[in-house]
Amino acid sequence: MSQAAPVPAQRRPITAGRAILLVLIVGVLLVPIPGFRTPQTHNIVIDASQFEFSPARLTVNRGDIVQVTLTASDVVHGFFLDGYGIDFRVEPGTSQEFTFTADRSGKFRYRCSVACGALHPFMIGELVVGPNELVWRASALAAVAVGAMLLHARKRPSA
Amino acid sequence: MTTTRGNRAALVMLAFIVVGVPALIIGYQYGLRPALADHRVVDIEALAPENGGFSPDVVRVEVGETITLRFAADDVTHGIAIGPGLGIDLGHVDPGHVGEVTFTPQEPGTYTYYCNTWCSADHWRMRGVLEVVDPNSPGGVNVQLDPIIEALGAASVDIDSEPEVAEGIFPDRSRGERSLDTVEVPPSLRDPDWRLSHSPAEGLEVLQADNPDTPEDVLVDVVAYLWSETPPTDEISELFARNCAACHGERGRGDGPGAATTLEEPVAYPEVSWHRRGDIWYAKIMRGGMGTDMPNFGTLFTEEETRLLVDYLRYLSFTES
Repeated sequence: MSQAAPVPAQRRPITAGRAILLVLIVGVLLVPIPGFRTPQTHNIVIDASQFEFSPARLTVNRGDIVQVTLTASDVVHGFFLDGYGIDFRVEPGTSQEFTFTADRSGKFRYRCSVACGALHPFMIGELVVGPNELVWRASALAAVAVGAMLLHARKRPSA
Repeated sequence: MTTTRGNRAALVMLAFIVVGVPALIIGYQYGLRPALADHRVVDIEALAPENGGFSPDVVRVEVGETITLRFAADDVTHGIAIGPGLGIDLGHVDPGHVGEVTFTPQEPGTYTYYCNTWCSADHWRMRGVLEVVDPNSPGGVNVQLDPIIEALGAASVDIDSEPEVAEGIFPDRSRGERSLDTVEVPPSLRDPDWRLSHSPAEGLEVLQADNPDTPEDVLVDVVAYLWSETPPTDEISELFARNCAACHGERGRGDGPGAATTLEEPVAYPEVSWHRRGDIWYAKIMRGGMGTDMPNFGTLFTEEETRLLVDYLRYLSFTES
């Protein structure tokens, strides 16, 4: 008789371990990352020549205001910044000024957007807007997952 | 059987790709399009002078004949303009794009199509000739002498004399504008032609004679204002940015990116403006500098444009950067 009674679906008990894991995950995703300071203003002169930008790497903090003076020293070049949708062209002898707020964190390429010769496709620089929130959160999340897996594996050594 | 038929079809396809497609393109370019167009279309390839410049670099057209010029840039971005006096500026033509203009020349003469965007060390050599011929008097192109340059020659003024550098003088046109009303200005200083043939330093002497009690630095500023009285139009600052700024710098300080390539350092206008007559500048722009790598612009600019450019050089000289 008792064997005929259907076994109710077993609900997983909320153990302390699971609660801690949940709190950790939520924390990793939501906790504000320290290191956001008052936004600074950067005045940067970027010179474009065949086939490089100088400087080829910019590092700013998120929220900073970037004032760029773009010059070209040989032929007409362009400046296209991935992720920000910024596109300017500059001809030798005149400078192009523009300002943007680095409100997206991560690493973004800037590239020449006007065909300027054989190696034009390789005329690339990079803007690093840090701290790189996504990378940090993703690494922390991965660390939590790895830790939980290790703990889980230790609790049940083998089936 | 099937294989053979498939092979034959593939062969026909291959023949079409290898022979047919180029034949269609060339046929359209040189057969169909000229036949359909009601006027002549000339394709001009634009390359930096080191790579060949314009080809063709001579185009002949009759007065009243409508013509389309198509400029294709193949290496870097060029700027295409035709002068003097035609008012044609196609702006930048990027590699892979075509800049096109259709017009009907009315005045016989020799015009120049040229690049007005710094494209290489030899950029200024990138010029082509547009000959507009009158069918009724072919070969009869009037060469007109430039009155300003002729007058310099008649007065035996040496256009190539070394410029005298002003020291200890800091003229500022906006200060001069403010104190203009406090000064007695003789009529000669109001005359643009007089100002063109006299340097600001000479103007200061005349002004001092009429205003013996005014401090010299005030008079210097007033002269700076008078010599740059014409406010620059957008067209003129654009003309300067396109044709001069690459060497002389966008503020005329002699610091453009092309400055490193020239035989002599490009002139920084504020240094020499005080002792420089405007007509000498005019002549240098029109005729070019002898042995300095300053190109001639007489085949590109009209007399009026050149005079306005001289005014603009004064404006740059007497304005804080």
